[in-house]
Amino acid sequence: MGAQNINLLPPLVESGQFEQLVQSGQTISATTSPYDNSLAVFLSPTTVSGSNSNSDREEPVYFASYDVVPSSERRLFIADTQVIFSMFHGMLESAKSREPSWIQTPEALELMRKFSVDYVNFIKECWIHASQPMPRTDGPLQFSADHYRSLYSCFSLFVVLYLPEPGYEDAPVGEDLMEWLNIHFIEPSTEEGDHLSSLDRPWEDEEFWPYLKRVTLRGLTKASLFFFNTLLQHPSEDLQDLVRTIIPVVESQPRLQNFSAERDFAFASRKWKDKVKAIRIEMDRVPEESRFDDFENWWDSLSDIVGILEGRNPVIQRVCEELGADWKEVCSAWGIFVDSRLRRQDLVDVAAEVLEIMPADPTNLEDMIHSALFSGKPEQALRYASQLDAWLSAHFADVMEPLGLLETDENSESELSKRDEYVLSYAEYLHSDPTQWKITIAYMYSCGDIGRERGDEILVRVPLRLHPSEAPSTPEEAIAQAVKEVSEVCFNYQREAVRRTVCRIAAQTCVRQKDYGLAVSYCISAEDWVSLGRVIDSILDEYVHNGAAEFAKQASKIAPSVQELQSRTVSEAIFVHRLIFAVRYSQIHKYKLEQDFVSAASDIVTLLREEIAPKSWWPVLLCDSVELLQYGSTLLFASSDAAELLSKLEEISIRASQGSGDDYLSVLTRTIKGGGEKEALERLKVVRLALARYFARCTIGSDRHALST
Amino acid sequence: MAPATVSDSVPIETAHEDMIHDAQLDYYGKRLATCSSDRTVKVFDVVEGEAQKTTSGHTLKGHTGPVWQVAWAHPKFGHILASCSYDGKVLIWKEQQGQGWTKVGEHTLHTASVNSVSWAPHELGAMLACASSDGKISVLTFKDDGSWNADIFNGHAIGCNAVSWAPAVIPGSLITPQSQSQPTVPSQGSAPNQSNSVKRFASAGCDNLVKIWGYREDSQSWVEEETLEGHTDWVRDVAWAPNIGLPRSYIATASQDKTVLIWTKENATAPWTKAALDPSSALASPVAGATMATAVANAPAGKFPDVVWRVSWSLAGNLLAVSCGDGKVTLWKENLKGTWECVSDMNS
Repeated sequence: MGAQNINLLPPLVESGQFEQLVQSGQTISATTSPYDNSLAVFLSPTTVSGSNSNSDREEPVYFASYDVVPSSERRLFIADTQVIFSMFHGMLESAKSREPSWIQTPEALELMRKFSVDYVNFIKECWIHASQPMPRTDGPLQFSADHYRSLYSCFSLFVVLYLPEPGYEDAPVGEDLMEWLNIHFIEPSTEEGDHLSSLDRPWEDEEFWPYLKRVTLRGLTKASLFFFNTLLQHPSEDLQDLVRTIIPVVESQPRLQNFSAERDFAFASRKWKDKVKAIRIEMDRVPEESRFDDFENWWDSLSDIVGILEGRNPVIQRVCEELGADWKEVCSAWGIFVDSRLRRQDLVDVAAEVLEIMPADPTNLEDMIHSALFSGKPEQALRYASQLDAWLSAHFADVMEPLGLLETDENSESELSKRDEYVLSYAEYLHSDPTQWKITIAYMYSCGDIGRERGDEILVRVPLRLHPSEAPSTPEEAIAQAVKEVSEVCFNYQREAVRRTVCRIAAQTCVRQKDYGLAVSYCISAEDWVSLGRVIDSILDEYVHNGAAEFAKQASKIAPSVQELQSRTVSEAIFVHRLIFAVRYSQIHKYKLEQDFVSAASDIVTLLREEIAPKSWWPVLLCDSVELLQYGSTLLFASSDAAELLSKLEEISIRASQGSGDDYLSVLTRTIKGGGEKEALERLKVVRLALARYFARCTIGSDRHALST
Repeated sequence: MAPATVSDSVPIETAHEDMIHDAQLDYYGKRLATCSSDRTVKVFDVVEGEAQKTTSGHTLKGHTGPVWQVAWAHPKFGHILASCSYDGKVLIWKEQQGQGWTKVGEHTLHTASVNSVSWAPHELGAMLACASSDGKISVLTFKDDGSWNADIFNGHAIGCNAVSWAPAVIPGSLITPQSQSQPTVPSQGSAPNQSNSVKRFASAGCDNLVKIWGYREDSQSWVEEETLEGHTDWVRDVAWAPNIGLPRSYIATASQDKTVLIWTKENATAPWTKAALDPSSALASPVAGATMATAVANAPAGKFPDVVWRVSWSLAGNLLAVSCGDGKVTLWKENLKGTWECVSDMNS
């Protein structure tokens, strides 16, 4: 395989100055891009002292793609053929639930033929589209019409030779081959026919006999009969007589499609051959001196035509050479005239014999693919196809494998089957266009473990539209939409690990944007409890940094997640616990804002008593209770509740005096600007005072309660 | 397809005041970080292979010497960059909402130039390996609050040039579904798949050696697992290939001795075997420049025309980009027979 040469444009270094670059201790460096098939290329010094400050230079970084990125009609072609590919694989998937031998049944073959014909038809459409001279809104064609014509001829030949209609595998192939040749390699041209038919004495034109030979060879009966009829006006009576005999013979050449049984066709062909022999006998009776007209030896030309009809192999070959026709024409004519019962499996020998004398054109990949297909060498056809277009080799290989044309054994080095090798190589080419990631992974995920691994790498990097400039809507909506899209694909291909990774990244992004509700739901979706804990910490940090109101607002967004989590059995109770705390704590602030102080007080006690609140938050809760303890005339806490508050306060004081203050006081400390543990403890003294006063009020209050009862 | 491809793109004008030593694309390939002898790190947005013209990029200042390398952390940790410099420091940068890029950490345990930094696979948590001219390698393990633990140990006599992490999942074991089979233990931190994952990296040194280091959970320390001998001069770069779905591991190394070696390990227990890339195979190039042809003709088989500075694997691990001192970048692929072929030759 020859290496491909890539030149940068505009050049990083002017031509001729390359040596200078290397001598000045610089070279180019490159780093691969995860985004597409490109490299970021830049100049870098090769010696530490090689750096020479030069203010004129911009120190640019280039992006150079090592594949030609699909554009214009090619993108459409890629996208539309992938639809067929996916349906084909749907069929192969469903085959897995059947008997292993099902794939060889007529039903399966019929389906494979259908999908292959779909490919052929689609390529044809694309060829026609590319051939039309029309303004192209999506830019100039990336591949020429001729390129699609090549694909068309190759794929349809593949169908003719390897995917005959079920039941017709053993039928003669000649007519099908000639039809293929006539569709894809039109000869002689219509212009020649028009020209000749406009002449009164067309045989006087030097193109007459070559034309008549070619239409005979191609089985174009209508054209050949027309010109045989003109020969009835030829001055030679001998020729007229012969033509009178030939016309009905040409007219009556048996065609396979007109017979219901091959036996009848064979019988008719034999009888027809006898008639041709009779012409030869009649021809030989024409005396030598009568075999010329004023221009040339008509007898020799007619003899060639009769030779073709007789199926004389050397004549056909020679005529083809004279006409500039190639081996394909000889092989196809062989199946019509030399051996009208030629089978597909026998074509290999015929092709070998013909190609020996008239080899395929090694400079023409299309011809090399055709010859490999004729010769029954599908793997060779794949090699040439991969040079013509990675699309062709991939889709060939994809159909060839279920047909049993390829070895399914994995290569011991690459551990890839032939099919996977070609399909992956196409998928890699597709990766040059990252916007086509869905198509790229569809091909990758059809290629075993290796393909799955590669597909995963692409799927986890599908841009989540993290930059606002890329977002069509709000950043949150954009992320949600992108994650949803990727999740769906993950689900379809069962890539759970990928989905989780993507959710983790999305969660991190949402935290950055303070969209905690979404962040929490992504963490839960990824079952990433560690990250969930981190998100909750971020929410609680809102309290520390931005105060209760902002905290309550943010925390309310995660409330729905609590219900979702409680409804499933989760082993990571600790994180659920913390989540519940954040939500319930925010609820307390909401109660306070709504002046529902009874509920607020009751919840503070619950969070402490049931130890839903982490120790580091106890002091914060206690400080929050001060306002409630001092609230107007009503006693909001039962005395047992107040005792609970006191016991927590005691625990904090004792532990702080034992040197474990950090476990309890870290959060409160952070809420005090410039404060430390000392300041935090000061603040707790306020709680202690409030509690003392409260107990005092309780004593009086209980009297009052007692009086009222 | 045409044999000579022209890659037409609008270059990003970095406006660095001196030569660029490294350029790295982030996880999505959407942002480019560059670093230079001008002591700065710059970050650019990349849209469709071109720098966004509206933004001139961010300049990150903090180093006091040439900056050799930059490395992006996995996005699940946020937008984080690490850079290393001749000044002996590793700086950690973070982009925060509303604040832009700020320095959030400074690792100063090395006593000489830090030549390379590399983030561990994200499955292992936020970990950064650093290689220094003081001969030491350090591994930083970040905690949730942004602080870190540092392990520092002797790597290569004279100096360490590069580090590269192994994939977190041992090749061949990746088929195990992650969700059901292994209940995770929250206290063990952020590695959900602990039993399957492995903390391992390779380092390249001025002692002509490549070393493989593995973390031992029992002793809580880094252990030299293997030494790869083969180069005859300083090893400039090392790149451990990502998992490509095979039970095999690959490491590429580039050296002052003008060779690139591909080290292959068939499975977890097999030994490493080496093969040199043979640039003379690139001569098949139909339009190979005369410079390349003559240069290669003068070089012995298996040798590049000049010192090889960098090796870099593509995302799928199937393509290796090699930057040589001769001013060329060549792309290499392993063919089906297991030999490495040059598939592309990029000229400046």
